[in-house]
Amino acid sequence: MSLTLTSGIAAAFGNGRRRHMPLLVGSAIMALFLLFSLIPGIFAPYDPLAFDYMHLSEAPTLAHPFGTDNFGRDMLSRVIWASRVDIQIAIFCTIFPLAFGTIVGALTGFYGGWLDAVFGRLVDLVVTFPFLVIVIAIVAVLGPGLFNMYIAVSSVGWVFYAQLMRAGVQVQKQSDYAAAARVLGYGEARIIFRHLLPNAITPIIVYWMTDMALAILLGSSLGYLGLGAQPPTAEWGVIIADGKNFMSTAWWISVFPGIAIIFAGVGFSLVGDGIADIFRRRN
Amino acid sequence: MSGDAGDALLSVRNLRVAFGSPQHPLLAVDGVDFDVAPGEVLGIAGESGSGKSVTLRSILRLIHPPGRVSGRVLWRGRDLLTLPEEELRRVRGGEIGVIFQEPMTALNPVLTVGLQIRENLKEHTGLDAAGRRKRAIELMDHVGIPAAQSRLEDYPHQFSGGMRQRAMIAIALASNPQLLLADEPTTALDVTIQDQILKLILRLRSEMNMSVILVTHDLGVIAQTCDRLAVMYAGRLAETGPVAALFRQPRHAYTLGLLNSVPRAGQIRQPLASIPGQPPLLSKLPEGCAFAPRCPFVLSACREAPPPLVEVAPDHRSACLAHQALAKA
Repeated sequence: MSLTLTSGIAAAFGNGRRRHMPLLVGSAIMALFLLFSLIPGIFAPYDPLAFDYMHLSEAPTLAHPFGTDNFGRDMLSRVIWASRVDIQIAIFCTIFPLAFGTIVGALTGFYGGWLDAVFGRLVDLVVTFPFLVIVIAIVAVLGPGLFNMYIAVSSVGWVFYAQLMRAGVQVQKQSDYAAAARVLGYGEARIIFRHLLPNAITPIIVYWMTDMALAILLGSSLGYLGLGAQPPTAEWGVIIADGKNFMSTAWWISVFPGIAIIFAGVGFSLVGDGIADIFRRRN
Repeated sequence: MSGDAGDALLSVRNLRVAFGSPQHPLLAVDGVDFDVAPGEVLGIAGESGSGKSVTLRSILRLIHPPGRVSGRVLWRGRDLLTLPEEELRRVRGGEIGVIFQEPMTALNPVLTVGLQIRENLKEHTGLDAAGRRKRAIELMDHVGIPAAQSRLEDYPHQFSGGMRQRAMIAIALASNPQLLLADEPTTALDVTIQDQILKLILRLRSEMNMSVILVTHDLGVIAQTCDRLAVMYAGRLAETGPVAALFRQPRHAYTLGLLNSVPRAGQIRQPLASIPGQPPLLSKLPEGCAFAPRCPFVLSACREAPPPLVEVAPDHRSACLAHQALAKA
């Protein structure tokens, strides 16, 4: 994995710029949002929560490039601070599914048998429900809020990683080097996690990138519906929901966070695509 | 090759490997016996499907269900076929090393070569990290990988085919095994590299006083490297004996056919002799000798029951009813 990633990124920044343009652009967008989320105070010109009754619902100006909302809060600052919440959503919604799904997939793919049967049915059960419906149902039971949203998304999201990893390990375990590891007397844990898993991880990484984009969209959707981040926390979906009542008089409140969502989604997807592309080329 | 297994390192007795359903078993290996003495190179030759690779793999229990293995594989007094998994793991890679046909695919593509050598050392020796690194360099040096130190951090795809096979040998030899199982180790390599690898195996054999079982379909390789030869046909042993005796005077019609079908250098435009017909399907083995339908020496008794393996000369055994006719021919 590290080999694929490092040499892939090296290739992206070295020759063949044109071919790797998507990865380059995606990485730049991702880096920008990561910076926003790590040190928003440096980029945001105002306090995102400070009311300013002298400047209510102002259209974009030089002083407020994204305008202000109905409380006079600076929209640019709010969008930048919101990226902290949304990047956090992207990571926390995917990190547990990534880890758990990968391990479950590796084990079921390697051992098969009853373990595979049990988890296979569990996967079937989860896949049967539409993703958004089951997430909303879980949040509805647990109560709205970011933490409960993480629980809901995590308890559903791992199945996709598990399916990918299971298939990958099933292929890899037929390979000669797997047989070679066996005749070298290595234990099963070592064969699975040291030898097979790194050879099957690339699709997982690609999917992870796409999944982070989806998580941002999902987080915004749930925020919009009032099931995710709660006001006054600046979160893109929440801001859009706040601004929807002023669409006809102050379009900028909802439009700029919407554009931020699009950019973040496109950025993560481009990175995922770029990595997948390098991987395909290699084979 | 007598019944006692006293001085043998490895004794295989009545080895059977069956695939297919219990009602209609397909015997890929049917009652094979052989011994390997310390320091000896045993060749196992035969056509594709003769059971030679399956025999090799069953020694270390690499046959997966639905394949079923029976018989005994005595390794230094212990039966590997009934050994608990934990002890078997110490034998695998520790006491018995294996190299495969395809060095391209038998190395893990995402781990460096040095790491793969060190991993075996970690599993089977008590060396510390620094000691493992030092030993890994020694081993790579030993198998003839130039600039070993700087190539430790290279990935398998940065090695050529021959170098990969050397790296595989280095991994297999990391823990000083007493027996090396080599499954067509040179088939995927071109002839000059093949020669180097075989010489390397022979050199290591004598330096480390290691035994080798070499499975191949290439009689030239056998002649060049092996002390004794076992010829397999349709899952059974056709003939075993010292390589020199067997090549000089084969006592099984199949061995003779094999030897005659090797093109010889120096002869000008001779028609290539070949054995007529095809090896039988495991599901449609003839009643008697499996080679009878293709055999120019066939007797009526050959079609009745599979001929037993009998001693035709000291340490030379053949399962051919026509072995006397062959001796005169």
